[in-house]
Amino acid sequence: MSGMKTPVSVLRLPRGPEPNSRGFDPTSPRFIALCPTTLPSSSSSSGSADEEEQRLRAELRERFLRTLLLMTGKRVRFDMHEHVRVHARFGASDIDVLNLQVCDLETPLGVQREALLRSQDVIACSFEV
Amino acid sequence: MLQWRDRSPQHWHELVNHEVCVTNRDQQRFEGRVFTVDPVSASVVLLSVQESERLSVRVILGHAVTDVQILRRGTEETERQMKSVLLPDRAQSLSAEELKSRRESVRLWLEQNRVPVTEDGEVLRVANALTISAPYRPGDCSSANEIILSRVQSLVESNDEKIRGHLRS
Repeated sequence: MSGMKTPVSVLRLPRGPEPNSRGFDPTSPRFIALCPTTLPSSSSSSGSADEEEQRLRAELRERFLRTLLLMTGKRVRFDMHEHVRVHARFGASDIDVLNLQVCDLETPLGVQREALLRSQDVIACSFEV
Repeated sequence: MLQWRDRSPQHWHELVNHEVCVTNRDQQRFEGRVFTVDPVSASVVLLSVQESERLSVRVILGHAVTDVQILRRGTEETERQMKSVLLPDRAQSLSAEELKSRRESVRLWLEQNRVPVTEDGEVLRVANALTISAPYRPGDCSSANEIILSRVQSLVESNDEKIRGHLRS
């Protein structure tokens, strides 16, 4: 696998985000189909319980974003379904972690210079610090 | 039993810093210490030490997680070690007086540059739109407004350079 560095031509480009928005549309069929309502409600709806929940969400999310930052530019191993494993350089994720932008994706067909991985196809990503 | 993705942020937060075993739909198991669980995608970030002594970070996507079991609870020390690897900028090595004088220095510099800044405990607030937390470096500024953020960050950076210049001379 490591000898194969022939870049392959792009077979199909994904559709880009809407030109008039920031790319995130909560009414889009994609978001509705793939993202359940993101705020699972806690049974008590008092103000301070909501604030505490929000604080925890913010702390958890910040740590996650910093993990993604740490992953950027690194060579990452992607474990997919059916025990398929590929390596690529991680670029970015979208806001809902539905798509992962990578480059130099090593596939059995050769090295794909730029690629978009659907997060539904990915089970885990690993990298070394 | 609630699905992993439907759990509350409290439930996810309780797993942080503990060593867990994550099972996925194909019965694969991943072990490691929980650094965080993303509240948007329910993805679990695990830190583990490989045989080669190198630290490996694994992000298990939320849709693939079926179960998470705690194996061993973490301690303050393990939390500190985890943070030092994954949040390397947060070195809390400055004393309270040093932090106070840094905060004062940044506040004065911003005022001199006609930026409306107030002190709110340990945090500096700019025009209700931006916050600077300890230790008041450019990376400690947070704001929802990119223009204000970039302006204040470059000011904080130039203040740092001034201080470094004084130390040298």
